[in-house]
Amino acid sequence: MSNNNKKWFSLNLGKKEHVSSSSCSCGKTSGGCGGTSKAHDMTDDEFAEAAIKASIGEERTKDGFEQVFDVKMDRRTAFKKLTASLLIGAGAVSTSCNVISGDESKEKAQIDWEEQFKGNYKLMTDEERQATVDRLVRSYQLRTGKTINMSSKNAEEDVLFGYAFNISKCQGYMDCVNACVEENNQDRNSEMQYIRIHEMKDGKGFNFNEADDNYYHEVPAEGHFYMGTQCFHCDNPPCVEVCPVQATWREDDGLVVVDYDWCVGCRYCMAACPYDGRRFNWSKPEVPEEAINKNQHYLGNRMRKKGVMEKCTFCVQRSRAGKNPACVEACPTGARIFGNLLDPNSTIRWVLENKKVFRLKEDLGTEPKFWYFMD
Amino acid sequence: MKNNINMMNKIVCFSFFLLIFFSCKHHENEYHSITDKIEAESKNYQGTSISSEAHIGDLKTIEITEGEHTFLIPERKSQIKSYACTECHTKPLAQMQSKDFKKAHWDIKLDHANENTMNCVTCHNPDNMDHLKSLTGNTIDFNHSYNLCNQCHTKQFEDWKGGAHGKRIGGWAPPRASMTCVNCHNPHKPHFESRWPARFNTQKVKERE
Repeated sequence: MSNNNKKWFSLNLGKKEHVSSSSCSCGKTSGGCGGTSKAHDMTDDEFAEAAIKASIGEERTKDGFEQVFDVKMDRRTAFKKLTASLLIGAGAVSTSCNVISGDESKEKAQIDWEEQFKGNYKLMTDEERQATVDRLVRSYQLRTGKTINMSSKNAEEDVLFGYAFNISKCQGYMDCVNACVEENNQDRNSEMQYIRIHEMKDGKGFNFNEADDNYYHEVPAEGHFYMGTQCFHCDNPPCVEVCPVQATWREDDGLVVVDYDWCVGCRYCMAACPYDGRRFNWSKPEVPEEAINKNQHYLGNRMRKKGVMEKCTFCVQRSRAGKNPACVEACPTGARIFGNLLDPNSTIRWVLENKKVFRLKEDLGTEPKFWYFMD
Repeated sequence: MKNNINMMNKIVCFSFFLLIFFSCKHHENEYHSITDKIEAESKNYQGTSISSEAHIGDLKTIEITEGEHTFLIPERKSQIKSYACTECHTKPLAQMQSKDFKKAHWDIKLDHANENTMNCVTCHNPDNMDHLKSLTGNTIDFNHSYNLCNQCHTKQFEDWKGGAHGKRIGGWAPPRASMTCVNCHNPHKPHFESRWPARFNTQKVKERE
């Protein structure tokens, strides 16, 4: 858009006000791009000024406290803000500019718009959580024509998840890894895997430097034992502490989860985790359509994008429904035990009370809820 | 005047103590360790609404009580294809080994302990084929075959009762259903076979080269 109402599009090279011009990228001078005709008569500077004034208005001159606590929000301001945001955002919602585009693409654009500006899942009310899940399901339906089932189930009262791993049972078959990848829609291209099975030499102790976590020979190999690591869902998780945007947190049932839409991909958490429990999407994660697990949870195995962190969630979509995580179910040797730490009659509690259990790097005070034991 | 100063002192001291008291009381790390937390929070455990009953599905199970543990195990007899044994074993064994009879159980090769310790009749009773027998000759039902195994494998039995040995069926939530010995171990050849891992990560190899 330029100031002299040209009928053709030209790039705004060398001009300063890119922000305002990109606020409506449809390039049209007429028709439903959401902008009012008034906006088109303005220069870029004026437009930007008007837009900013309409959207944040006098808040520009206020300090942070006043912005938050001293906001008058009558119907008029609310409408003003709404129209202003729509005006500015019309560019982003490029498809809605199009008069020939159908209702579906407009709905898609609407969903994208709302998804773009939703808040942190941790701070959402239950209704908001349900709304974002509904949007994601609908969006998937619009894009692929297939229906997924996504849950926003919250942590249950009186549940604290814990895990025990029997290192004398594990034979290194890696069935758990395969089940995990399939269950959690992990990127098949980069062959991401949450679980690592370390092949360790007998008599060398837990020597992770010399352990092999990508062996391929007949197992169990003579003179070796196997141990699996994944996210340990620490009760005092250092990864949560370092997250600058609070995109990861510990749920009430002990699961440490990530809001993939809030994550900015700084990988602080990856560096903070002493157990190598977190994975980063360096490339666009790809899962073949037919292999997608359609039973999803917002905090669990829903589709991720490039540049966000992810990790084991103890299969939140399964565990909150009462099922065992996929790795536990897939293990042919019964080396993996999962359960509710607060239930005095649970099997996990029996293991903790009757077997000789230990955890990795206990001295760090991270309090992992993942115990190892031997027969 | 002196009273006033005394009063002031008292107030200052009091507020100082208050300050110390409240500043020490932060709720974030209420417990010293996760074990303390589990112990404290499970005292008032009310049970959850989550049940794994639906995940056990159509599996036919029987409830057993061993010691202080009560749980479900899969029913066995209906899973054995040729049960009841006496449907074929109509005559004493010696007569059935003749050439007139069709060969059966040719695929069973006993690979369990050594010959001195075990043979067929350690567990099977030739006079009562429909049941198993204990070392002392008592009858053991096929559904409760774990009672046969636990004669020798006492440690595994203890772990199994508690839940440290043997895989759960369904989910983590109550009611508990666990595999019984023969669901994972072939009683005639109980060890796990060695095999190739289910997966090899080619990207990791590239990454680390």
